[in-house]
Parts: sequence; C-alpha cells; structure tokens
Amino acid sequence: MIEFAVEMSGVTKRYKHFTLDEIGLRLPTGSIMGFVGANGAGKSTTLRILMGLVHQDAGSVQVLGYSMPDQQAPAKVEIGFVSEDMRLYGSPTLGWHMNFVRSIYPRWDRAYADTLMRRFDLKAEQKVKGMSHGQRVKAALLLALARRPKLLVLDEPTTGLDPIARREVLGELMAVLADEERTVLFSSHNTLDVEQISDQITFIDRGRILKSSDKESFLDRWRRIRLVLPPESKLPGLPGVVNVRGSNRLPVVTTDQFEPAMVAAYQQIGVGVQSVDAMTLEEIFVASVESRREGSAL
Amino acid sequence: MNWSMVRRLIWKDWYLNRAGILFSLTGGLVTLGLVAASRGSQIAVILGIIVVVTILIGMGAIVMASIVAERKQQTLPFVMSLPISYWEYTTAKILGSLLIFLVLWTAMLASMVATILLAPGFAHGLIPFVVIMSVEILMSTCLVITVGVATESQGWTVGAAQVGALSLNGIGWWIVRFPDIGRAMSSATVRWSSTATALLAAELAAIALMMAFTFFVQSRKKDFI
Repeated sequence: MIEFAVEMSGVTKRYKHFTLDEIGLRLPTGSIMGFVGANGAGKSTTLRILMGLVHQDAGSVQVLGYSMPDQQAPAKVEIGFVSEDMRLYGSPTLGWHMNFVRSIYPRWDRAYADTLMRRFDLKAEQKVKGMSHGQRVKAALLLALARRPKLLVLDEPTTGLDPIARREVLGELMAVLADEERTVLFSSHNTLDVEQISDQITFIDRGRILKSSDKESFLDRWRRIRLVLPPESKLPGLPGVVNVRGSNRLPVVTTDQFEPAMVAAYQQIGVGVQSVDAMTLEEIFVASVESRREGSAL
Repeated sequence: MNWSMVRRLIWKDWYLNRAGILFSLTGGLVTLGLVAASRGSQIAVILGIIVVVTILIGMGAIVMASIVAERKQQTLPFVMSLPISYWEYTTAKILGSLLIFLVLWTAMLASMVATILLAPGFAHGLIPFVVIMSVEILMSTCLVITVGVATESQGWTVGAAQVGALSLNGIGWWIVRFPDIGRAMSSATVRWSSTATALLAAELAAIALMMAFTFFVQSRKKDFI
C-alpha cells in the first residue's frame, strides 16, 4: 500500500485573473481530507488538476502512484470523481448509467449499487431528467461509489442539497470511510460538512494553501481568549497570535498555537483572562483567511 | 490508445442520438430505395437527391449536437471522470460522428452512381461531378466536426454548418465551369479528367488536414472541463 494517495508539489496554474500558486498537498492513504475554501479559492482547479482534467503549468502530481496528467487513464480506473457541476445524461435512466459504468469498471459492485439505490431512494428505471437536484447528486455518488474506487474525489458534492439530502449523502460518506484503505478528498465551503466527516483539513484561499493539518490539531490549537487589560496598559505580543479583535480595554485574541502556558503568561503580566473558548472549524477558517488577507499574523 | 473505451464512447453517443440517427438512416435509405424503384425517372432522381442531401445536412446537426452538447449540458465532467484520456475522447467523438454519417453517405453515393450507370436516360459523364459533390458534403461535415471538437462552441459550430451548406451550392456552381468537367457531364461515358482528379484529391487532402488539425488542437489543450 502506498503511503500517500495524493502528492502534489509546487503545482502552479495561471489563468488571466487567477493563479493557483505552488500548491503542495499530501493525502495519506486511508484518510479523509476536507478541502475548505471560499468560492473561487482554487478548490475545483486543484481537484481538476489532480484528476488530470486540467494540466498544471508547473509542479508534479502523483495520484495513487500515477503521474498526472500523463497517466490519467489508468489512474481513473481507481478513482471515483463527483463534482457539483457534473451532470448525467438526461434522457437515459439511472439503470442505463449503471450498466454503462459497470461495463467499464471491473470492480463494479452490483450488490452495493443496489443497496445504495435503496438507501438513496432511487429507482433504476427513473430518467435522470426527471430527478431533483438531490437525486441527481445521489445518482452521481452511487455511480462513483459502486466502482469501489481506492480514491474518492468529491468537489462540493453537498452544494445545493436540502438538509435531508445533505444528511443522507454525508451519512453514506461516513459509511464509506469505514473502509480504511479508501481515501477521500472532499472539497466544500461548508465547514460543518467537513468537520463531520474529515480527519484531515486543508484550507485554501486565493490560490494558496493556508494551512493543512489533522482535524484534532486544528481544533486543539485554535482558541479565542477574551482578555481584560488594566487601564493605560498595552497588550503584549505573544507568539501564535493570529489576530486581535474587540476594544483596547477588552481585546479578544485568536491564537493557532494555544497552550495553557499562554493563559499563565497573560496573568503573570497583570492581564485578566475572562475566558478561553474553543473555536468551530468555520471560525478557524474565517480567522485564517482574514489573517492571510490582512497581510500576516500579528 | 484504449480502443475498448473508444468503442464504448462511440456506442454511448449512438445510443444517446439513436432517434435522430434512426430517422435519418431510415429516411435516407427509403428515399434511395424509392429512387431506385422509379426506374430512372429523372424527376424522382432529382427529388431523391434533394431529400437525401437535406437528410445528410441534417445529420450534420446530430454530429454537432453530439459534440457540443457534452460541454453545454455539463456531461463532460462525467465522461472525463471515466478512465480515458482526452485523446481517446477526441478519437471517439470524431470516429463516432464520421461512422454514422458515412453509412448514409456511402449508401447515397453508391445509389446515385448505380442509378446513373444502370437506369436509362442518364449520361454516365455525370459520375465525376456526383462524386466530387458527394465528397464536398463529407468535407462540410468534417468541417463541422473539426470546429465542434476544437471550439466546443455552439455558435462557432452552427457557423461552420452554415458555411458548409452554403459552400455546397458555390462549389457546385464553380466546378461545372471547368470545361473538362462541365462538358463531360453530358458525355455518354465516364471521363475522369485531370481537373476532376485534382479537385477530388484536394477535397480528400482538406478532409485529412481538418482531422489532423483537430487532433493537433486537442493535443495542445490544457483545460478539458
């Protein structure tokens, strides 16, 4: 088994109004990475490069040991890809699509496809053009999952889904993840979805990777500390402070390197610590993006 | 080249366009059958040719739809998620489009030549003109394929189809003005002049060039969806 299902190094792609800049990304085999970014951050471009559908201007991309884009055909035998802008053919039925994909993939699992069809409440004889958006997403997921891919690449699969459909899709993804050899790369701007299913998280903004780490480290290291400063005093600079909001007297410090010693350090110099709050992934993401856009960490 | 995948993609395109293909093939072949049954009636032959040429031009629309719709209807990400390279995708699109067109085109050409040779009242000297014009129709379809695959734009492809349809009349009008083609049309025997051969060779070369150009453009593309 290879150590990394995905290895991207120095990947650059230039467009007229956007540049994907020196992307480096390593996805350990068997992990689930949430790839988080705002709209237009470069998530889809990165995933398309990874699939060989867009050719990088510079840098190397290895997927399941295949060099992309040159070896995309054999690589895609082992990859399931679903993107938000992917549509199936309107006139044929889901059953036709299943037969078509089954004729291509030797590992197609008919029993699993039937199970997914029941779980997603889909019907083989249903024409795709008569399906709702949620049903179309589920149908595309079914076609990708029943191939039994080693790597699942999902580009915003839950965008536009109603809460019920989103829950069903996420539930199935979590079930898929029980297979330890399967690797999932899952892009979204919805941090709640990512937080639910990922064990690795990467933030991207304006074509650059901001941070990449395992989820627990993210959630453990990031804290929001509410302080009370004595009159006429200034907030001392401590390492790991990402930004400072609030008033001069009552600053709120966000840090990505929290340790209990930090609280002790503030208290030692007479700064009151009102509270130390854990942050959600969304808050961490927003703080990371704002910090980067403001130029640098304080 | 993974020919197995190319075959599957061609089959997929034929299946998706099966209504148009069946209608065109049936209509074209029935028309040619009626022309053959008319025992050389000149009116039947002329009407038949008009109908079949119209169907052939209509088939250009099917070809166009097969190529352009993939991007327009956002099914390209689904196709390109399959284990194929863009080279194989291009080959499947071109071969799939050409093969289906060539079935009716070959039947039409063979029927017209057979009618001229076997039915009474037709000058055999018409054959070079008929062959050159038939290859011109094939060339127009190749232009639609080239523009469709290279640009993936409906506007450009419709433009190419219009240019092809208009050029049919223009080229017909132009080549009968060559003395050794125009005069030979009323001849009782088939006369392959050097001009006719040169025109036919130029058309075939143009087809080969268009196909080569299509693959060249595709090989330089960096963004496929």
